Amino acid sequence: MAFDKMELQKIEVWDGNRAAAQALRQAQVDVVAAYPITPSTPIVEGYAKFLADGYIEGEFAMVESEHAAMSACIGAAAAGGRVATATSSQGLALMSETLYQASGMRLPIILNLVNRALASPLNVNGDHSDMYMIRDSGWIQFDAFCPQESYDLNLIAFRVAEDHDIRLPAIVNQDGFMTSHTAQGVHTLSDDEAYAFVGEYKPMNDMLDFEHPVTHGVQTEEDWHFEHKARQHNDLMVKVIPKIKEVFADFEKLTGRKYNLVEKYDMDDADVCVVCMGSSVETAREVATEMRAKGIKAGVVGFRVFRPIPFAEIIDALKGVKAIAALDRSSPNGAAGTLFNEIAGALFNTDTKALLSGYVYGLGGRDLTKAHLTALFNELQANVDAGKVTTQLQQFIGVRGPKLAYL
Amino acid sequence: MMTKKGWDEFEIGAMLRTFNGKIDDIAGTQQQDRDYSENSSYTASVADWRLIKPIFNKDYCIDCQFCWVYCPDVSIISRDKKLIGVDMDHCKGCGICVEACPTNPKSLLMFPEQADEESEIANWPKKDEKEA
Amino acid sequence: MSEIKNIKNLKEFSTSADRFEGANLLCPGCAHSIIVREVLNATNDDLILSASTGCLEVCTAVYPYTSWDASWIHIGFENSSTAVAGAEIMYKALKKKGRLKQPERTPKFVSFAGDGASYDIGFQWISGCMERGHNMMHIVLDNEVYANTGGQRSSSTPIGSSATTSPEGKKSYGEKRNKKDMMAIMAAHGIPYVAQVAPNKWKDMVKKIQHGFAVEGPVFINAVSPCTTEWKFDPKDTMNIADLATDSLVFPLYEIIDGRELNITYRPKNIVPVEEYLAAQGRFKHLFKDEYKYLIKEWQDRVDEKWAYLQRREEARI
Repeated sequence: MAFDKMELQKIEVWDGNRAAAQALRQAQVDVVAAYPITPSTPIVEGYAKFLADGYIEGEFAMVESEHAAMSACIGAAAAGGRVATATSSQGLALMSETLYQASGMRLPIILNLVNRALASPLNVNGDHSDMYMIRDSGWIQFDAFCPQESYDLNLIAFRVAEDHDIRLPAIVNQDGFMTSHTAQGVHTLSDDEAYAFVGEYKPMNDMLDFEHPVTHGVQTEEDWHFEHKARQHNDLMVKVIPKIKEVFADFEKLTGRKYNLVEKYDMDDADVCVVCMGSSVETAREVATEMRAKGIKAGVVGFRVFRPIPFAEIIDALKGVKAIAALDRSSPNGAAGTLFNEIAGALFNTDTKALLSGYVYGLGGRDLTKAHLTALFNELQANVDAGKVTTQLQQFIGVRGPKLAYL
Repeated sequence: MMTKKGWDEFEIGAMLRTFNGKIDDIAGTQQQDRDYSENSSYTASVADWRLIKPIFNKDYCIDCQFCWVYCPDVSIISRDKKLIGVDMDHCKGCGICVEACPTNPKSLLMFPEQADEESEIANWPKKDEKEA
Repeated sequence: MSEIKNIKNLKEFSTSADRFEGANLLCPGCAHSIIVREVLNATNDDLILSASTGCLEVCTAVYPYTSWDASWIHIGFENSSTAVAGAEIMYKALKKKGRLKQPERTPKFVSFAGDGASYDIGFQWISGCMERGHNMMHIVLDNEVYANTGGQRSSSTPIGSSATTSPEGKKSYGEKRNKKDMMAIMAAHGIPYVAQVAPNKWKDMVKKIQHGFAVEGPVFINAVSPCTTEWKFDPKDTMNIADLATDSLVFPLYEIIDGRELNITYRPKNIVPVEEYLAAQGRFKHLFKDEYKYLIKEWQDRVDEKWAYLQRREEARI
């Protein structure tokens, strides 16, 4: 091996970006092609610096746009090796065309998506507009709530995506700044342990196998297209969830850190609960504990996997709850929120009597405070007490001016 | 037959393989010695596109290979520097080969698709003295 | 470094085993496939190929058929260059890491794209690939129009040509802008090799492609590709039109080495008037009306001026 190993402390103080960059180093990614965009840039800068310092054997290409970054990632992945990149917001919007092509060609690229608002107006801070925008693109989507999870989920993502039964690209989401730039203690694996967990890249349909020429990116019209799209959806629906569970279990064996498709907090006897993603999950958990001290049986559900949607696990997690708040960190622009719709869709045919209300919060990096969440839990309890949703179904939290509520 | 296959029977990613199994030296292996898969267009035909077709008369051919190099459809079969015929599965009847042919009379001429090769060769035009 | 294939004459060239197949869906008489064959047959090395969305792509990889005997990828309209650049980066990475399956083989990386996909929508991607120094060749199949979508103007469409989005009409002679000088733009990147080729000059083409494969770094090739459908001529005349293009000097054949040294590689013995080139194609038919004849004169002047410029550049050796 022509690269140096890095001696890591058992616990390193890393922000989410550093944690992701270290995971890319430990996975010994063969090719990173990237374009800078706040707040994701330090991830690919990290890879470039590790390469410059001889801690990685691979290639880094700083290309001229995010579209080119994913285009080069697709070419590199089709050639036959481990590929990763990172982006945010407008960068994701620019590369969105190629995201469908990567997944349609079944190329297991890992994309670190550091969630950020979409213009206009321009904004560099965290929300989930970018994550939602490409939700139908056929990529697996993991969500990290903190830097530790950014590290862990990157290692896990390679294992899931590159498996020959899966061969689908995967996104690891983390909140811009709140996670990406907030340093916390991160439990590390040694380079050898991490690489052994991720495993050697096993090529499949690789262009660089000159003895077996392949054609990638064909045209399929009405007589073939539907079958290929059906196959991709089927594999996402049927194969990915069991594979993720299997890799989560292996990861727990190795590290003791347990991941679930849907992360439940105090849900066993909860009357009221908040469902959300990203760094808000941790805030909501803290407030839920405080609400318990005040006699409100509060719980929190966080989506660890956003695509494929863990339908059965959502139903299971919300069983017996009396009031649910779906928190969407993206402007639905003329609809109910995405999480609201996902939860409603999951629960509609069950015998739940839960009251579901939606909240839009945190756009463009606006803080979700403990006070907001306290009020929200109280509102849910009021709904339970009244036996109906006492507010409109969709409310905005934390925005200045007259109250915004719809539906 | 590909058309009988269901969604679960295709290669993922709509990927196609040109050959069955392994091929060692493609550039050193002529078409007839390659094991093409059913997905190579070599195994398909566009003969039904043609309204007119080239007929090759080897009596006048000087093996200059202009027709070989300018054929858009890999349909002029040359082996060991000799023109041995036209691949009628892949020829679309464009007529470029006839234009490119420098002999007098030409060694390739276009005829209606239903023309009979033997009788057309028997009645091949004579040398054009004006052109010579 | 692999050996350069020995191709002294056409007979020798004809012993090539094609790696591009018939029963593709290109129009009868399409020059694209003639160019592709000449390029692929110029080497015996392994090839990693890509194509941008366009005629070549939609006609050679229509499920369940492929016309390619070497590995090939298509992503989108704008990024065939970057697709093959990505593969080239992976090749370098795996070579360094000792993970190539056939490490003794050195492939050539080639992207094909039309003029729309190169002069217009893929311009930035190509510029990026050329600037970053990938060991690859980008080949434009320049038919001066968006042929695959039915004949819209591109920035390669020449003045006076009738395209569907710049049609000739009672009050218009068609396209109003001169063709973009992509050769000069690419040469300005300072890349090792830029060349213009034509399929009718197969020997010049093979020589340039082989030179392009032999140099280390990015190579840009502009290939004139007469389009029977959009230029409106009989399919049998593709090579005749290509002859008129090169012999009228509308498409002069030259190369630029390291962004500086310009060599003219073909000097027609008898230079054909531009008028003859225009008269052979339906897309210029309207220029022969009395009121537009001045455009033909202007065109001839432009071609003469460019030819004089190329000769001065060649002499100056700068």
